[in-house]
Amino acid sequence: MAIHKLEVLVENEPGVLARVAGLFARRLYNIDSLTVGPTENSKISKMIIEVNVEGHSLEQVIAQLDKLINVIRIEEILEGAISNSKHDTQPDYQN
Amino acid sequence: MAHVPTANGTAMTGASSLVKSLEAANVDVMFGIPGGAILPAYDPIYDSTIRHILVRHEQGAGHAATGYAQVTGRAGVCIATSGPGATNLVTPLADAAMDSVAVVAITGQVPSLAIGTDAFQEADIRGITMPFTKHNFLVTNPDDIPRVIAEAFHIATSGRPGPVLVDIAKDALQKQTTFDWPTTVNLAGYKPQIQPNKSAISDAAALIAQSAKPVFYVGGGVIKANASRELLELAQLLGAPVVTTLMARGAFPDSHPQHLGMPGMHGTVAAVTALQKADLLITLGARFDDRVTGKLSTFAQNAKIIHADIDPAEIGKNRYADVAVIGDLRETITALIPALTAVLAKGRTDLSPWIESMNKLRATYPLGYDTPADGALSPQLVIERLGKICGPDTIFTAGVGQHQMWAAQFISYEKPRTWLNSGGAGTMGYGVPAAMGAKVGAPDTTVWAIDGDGCFQMTNQELVTCALNNIPIKVAIINNESLGMVRQWQTLFYDSRYSNTSLESKRIPNFPMLAESMGCVGLSCDSPNDVDATIEKAMSINDQPVVVDFRVHRDAMVWPMVAAGTSNDEILIARATAPDWDSQEL
Repeated sequence: MAIHKLEVLVENEPGVLARVAGLFARRLYNIDSLTVGPTENSKISKMIIEVNVEGHSLEQVIAQLDKLINVIRIEEILEGAISNSKHDTQPDYQN
Repeated sequence: MAHVPTANGTAMTGASSLVKSLEAANVDVMFGIPGGAILPAYDPIYDSTIRHILVRHEQGAGHAATGYAQVTGRAGVCIATSGPGATNLVTPLADAAMDSVAVVAITGQVPSLAIGTDAFQEADIRGITMPFTKHNFLVTNPDDIPRVIAEAFHIATSGRPGPVLVDIAKDALQKQTTFDWPTTVNLAGYKPQIQPNKSAISDAAALIAQSAKPVFYVGGGVIKANASRELLELAQLLGAPVVTTLMARGAFPDSHPQHLGMPGMHGTVAAVTALQKADLLITLGARFDDRVTGKLSTFAQNAKIIHADIDPAEIGKNRYADVAVIGDLRETITALIPALTAVLAKGRTDLSPWIESMNKLRATYPLGYDTPADGALSPQLVIERLGKICGPDTIFTAGVGQHQMWAAQFISYEKPRTWLNSGGAGTMGYGVPAAMGAKVGAPDTTVWAIDGDGCFQMTNQELVTCALNNIPIKVAIINNESLGMVRQWQTLFYDSRYSNTSLESKRIPNFPMLAESMGCVGLSCDSPNDVDATIEKAMSINDQPVVVDFRVHRDAMVWPMVAAGTSNDEILIARATAPDWDSQEL
């Protein structure tokens, strides 16, 4: 399936939405939908991004997204699944 | 010039806090030009221990910072004002991003209340540079300055290096604040992996031991990680052929018997073919760039891939990796050496047929060039003699085009950080300002910029900066009165229709006169018989920049060549001339 839903925790900093949107635009990843909202931590915002990765690998989209300094954690939301797929590219990450 | 650290909690302006922060980050030199929005910072710069070099164009400041960083392994710093000052940094920042160079750019911004009003000299430089900075900041609160500067240097120099821009509103520079330099940097979303995963190391070692046709595909990451010594040990442990990309020239000694040269569009037949025919690429800090792979679907079709890189996003970006090793390359290679030693002790695959066939290919197809029958000067001869006469301690920079490729091909690089060029971005005009920065970073080393006549006309004004600031670089203009590489493509692909590639620069400008007017020594040479004497004359002048106008013939072409978008199997050693594959046993 080409469409994946990602939950992305980002630092609540000015310009972070532009960084994410700009990354998707310049690497020709298609955003189907994007919402941004607060979390219980005022320093952290949550984005829900539905991305159409046709022509790209999901791993590559996630890896590029994680290169943004303000992106803290990326998790794929699997509809109907008990647990989501974590894509935390902190030190233990191996592609 | 050690500075006295400023105590935390000291009251000062934001501008002073900026300069104290740069001092605390151990900056010893910065390249820049003042202007309205950054002017508050230039007042404390006047008293600082940091050497500020006043350039003639902000692009020069950016490339100089890049050259400084590539020679020293430290962050290069450039500084500019808002609006056009900042936008003139766009090209060098894009260049530094493509070549993973640690650069910190400081720009002034209009006062925070004026941001968004289309104020005089306002440009959204943070927005403009988002795509090609590793990160950037807009500071409107002076209290944030020390933290942001500390984070900027941490981000620029750690992990995969890259440029970071810090844009500071003028009122943040003017307001009072207290200096508070952080002892640690903690970024929730940025923790580069330094230590490689142990199981990845053992998987890599096992794959290497099974391979009959392995090649070390070495990229610029080896130089960034200061891993040349470790690479030499690993390469000699296995004995396999080594290729070094355009960004990795000098990472492995050219004179080493395992070295096959540079791969890619203008690589050697042996290096290109080794990658094509290998059964395993041991990829170290390289990124499968299109100029190396040619048509990707036909690249190294029978090879498994070990991909070691500090950037997880490089893994699988262009080519699937059978084994990915994420981490600092020096750590990775250091871990790989004992792992491989242990595996090889249990049994080695005989690599000698593979090594012999590659050595034969290297002997059959060395780099070469034709000498014009009319006695005109060959550009390749000039560059070859520069390398021979100046020796392996010399630092060479280049612009972009034919002269760059010849400088990569015909000079023997023996040490890392002796070859600086604009590999990813292909920035014409990089050569002279990068040489300036390199000479500032390595003042006791001879620095030559090998430049084209087209490139030289883009950024030569920095020779004024060099002349006035005791930065005696040397410039060899390879003057073929053309935009040579574009002309070569017109010859090959556009039926020799030379649309807008003639520069007529043997007539105008007069390069030696131009050099003299900028406070440099100007020399010229148009005969093969005078090349050595001219280079030696230039080498004898060390108190002034020297510019040599080498007037070369205009029809020389860069060979070998893999045409853009075609397979590496289609490599040509001269026009319409493929290697004689039938005589090779591969």
